[in-house]
Amino acid sequence: MFWPKRIGSGIAAIAVCFLIDSITHHSFGSYEQRIIALVGIYVTLAVSLNLINGITGQFSIGHAAFYQVGAYLAGFISRRYITDAGHTPPPVLWLIGMILVAAAGASIAGFIVGLPSLRLKGDYLAIVTLGFGEIIRILVQNTDALGGSYALDKIPKIQEIWLIWLLAFICIAVCRNLLKTARGLTFLAVREDEIASSAMGVNVTRVKVTAFVLGSAFAGAAGALLAHYEGLITPATFTMDVSFIILTMVVLGGTGSITGSVVSAIFLSYLPEYLRTLKGGDGQPLVVSGTAVVAALIVTVLAVAAIKTVLNRHLFTPQKRGLIYVGIIIGAAMLEPLFSLLLHPVPMLANMQVAAAQLRMVIFAVTLIVLMLLRPQGVFAHHEFSWDWVKKILGKGPVPSTEVSA
Amino acid sequence: MSLLKLNEATIRFGGLIAVNKVSFELKKGDLFGLIGPNGAGKTTCFNLITGVYKPTDGQILFDGKDITGTPSNKIANLGISRTFQNIRLFKALSVLENVIVGGFLRNNTGLLSSLAYLPGAINETEEMKQEALRLLDVLNLRQVANVRSADLSYGMQRRLEIARAMATKPKLLLLDEPAAGMNPQEKEELNVMVKKIRDEHGMTVLLIEHDMRFVMSLCENIVVLDHGEEIAQGPPAAIRNDPKVIAAYLGEAV
Repeated sequence: MFWPKRIGSGIAAIAVCFLIDSITHHSFGSYEQRIIALVGIYVTLAVSLNLINGITGQFSIGHAAFYQVGAYLAGFISRRYITDAGHTPPPVLWLIGMILVAAAGASIAGFIVGLPSLRLKGDYLAIVTLGFGEIIRILVQNTDALGGSYALDKIPKIQEIWLIWLLAFICIAVCRNLLKTARGLTFLAVREDEIASSAMGVNVTRVKVTAFVLGSAFAGAAGALLAHYEGLITPATFTMDVSFIILTMVVLGGTGSITGSVVSAIFLSYLPEYLRTLKGGDGQPLVVSGTAVVAALIVTVLAVAAIKTVLNRHLFTPQKRGLIYVGIIIGAAMLEPLFSLLLHPVPMLANMQVAAAQLRMVIFAVTLIVLMLLRPQGVFAHHEFSWDWVKKILGKGPVPSTEVSA
Repeated sequence: MSLLKLNEATIRFGGLIAVNKVSFELKKGDLFGLIGPNGAGKTTCFNLITGVYKPTDGQILFDGKDITGTPSNKIANLGISRTFQNIRLFKALSVLENVIVGGFLRNNTGLLSSLAYLPGAINETEEMKQEALRLLDVLNLRQVANVRSADLSYGMQRRLEIARAMATKPKLLLLDEPAAGMNPQEKEELNVMVKKIRDEHGMTVLLIEHDMRFVMSLCENIVVLDHGEEIAQGPPAAIRNDPKVIAAYLGEAV
């Protein structure tokens, strides 16, 4: 019964990817298509960083470097072989080949960085990975063969959204599988306590290097997909900011939770794009006044402070707490016009007109601050999605069983 | 025959000699105690045996092999396991998962099997789970198998440390203050448990303990350390009346 089931779920996953692909192509324009592709790539990046940061507990903030190694490796080979030499291999097979090459290249980079630096812990490891990320970016920026600081262009475009999402699914499945077996527990054990792990016979260095190599391989594969989706890559795509956004996805979702990484990767990569497209009533890009913006910020801060105060004083049931959140947010929203009115006499604010799209990074930042204040352990904390969980929320589920899950 | 032999084991931290030329020998099946006032170097001794520290001088022999300076995880593979004085459980993991990690060093399936969730890894995980559950029975922890280990009571955490160490199936079990923080009844139960571990599971036990009544009633042989030096060795009755030991604990008569 094992293999038929396994092959069945594999086919189902591929079918879902094709479904996403065809829906995307039929119902959306190229802008939306690109967002869907990028979201898929970010899911892979966040889940693979979660393997290193969340599951194995190695604080790495240079994930964009491995992403870049994969992108440039695949982009360079494709350009040489297809654009420059004029070969025309079957595009999908070629892309799959490039994904594997990029994964291999990035995992070698992961191994090289990992082995010496995994003797370091916490902050020190973070600094080394940060440094490595910058080294790779600056190296590329100064290599003319890779396009220097301008771009590596003329990469053949092979835009297969289903492959992007398939990679994301495979990345999720691999992490999930690992955690379901005893071996995965040793990764968590290393995160929890290295001395105790090695006293139990766990080869700590090997676990860490494995996590680094696997995580980088997936980041590299995602890079190959990006290079062929965009047809052009620049060093500016792989700056420190990108590493931090990926890290934010992991932390926001709940460090160690695969579900959390997936959900927050989707949310955080979509949110700025959504804000960019906001339209006013007249169909023109939305313009807001300075007073409204400042009022909104004040209200947000007050609302968060109010929620924190209420929750610190009293311990409510989760249902009541949910109601309190909603109540305070609605109340705050109602206060907003009042603040707007109060701020209106300030000429500097009243005369300021801002395109909503320009505020997207501000809103992005405020969203993060609010979420982290309200739920420092991350949205999903250490929980994972499961069907039992869905049933429980729907109220039809069995009483949480005491059956052992390892 | 001798299972563990310390041969003038010494470690210096800068100017401090934490353990100075300590020698003792454990035979297979021993129930051995290591006592001494605070700061005597008992835990450091454990750290030398388990490879957390490398001795500056001297040798440590286990089962006829020289294990001086061997890394911790290899020593665990050779058959020495330990608990920690300042409890070091994998806090976010459940009780059962903690014990499974202890059993992992005997795994046979590779990384790929885990990543692809192949039958090999699935079955092995299941076997480890069953074995871990049996160990939880021995230490009376079965009913909390799914509880996060950080949420256990102090006494239970200490017992879980023992279960996790036993899961590696060691020949030699090192217990660092297993009774610390336990009430008299729990101590009594622990006493019985440790004897059982030796008699029924065939493990040799070396333990550090401050509770004299506990050590004297449990151990057949005791080594006493003071300021990193070995000051006495022998059966409990002899240790109890040894003037050097009394002086170390209570101070010299004026």
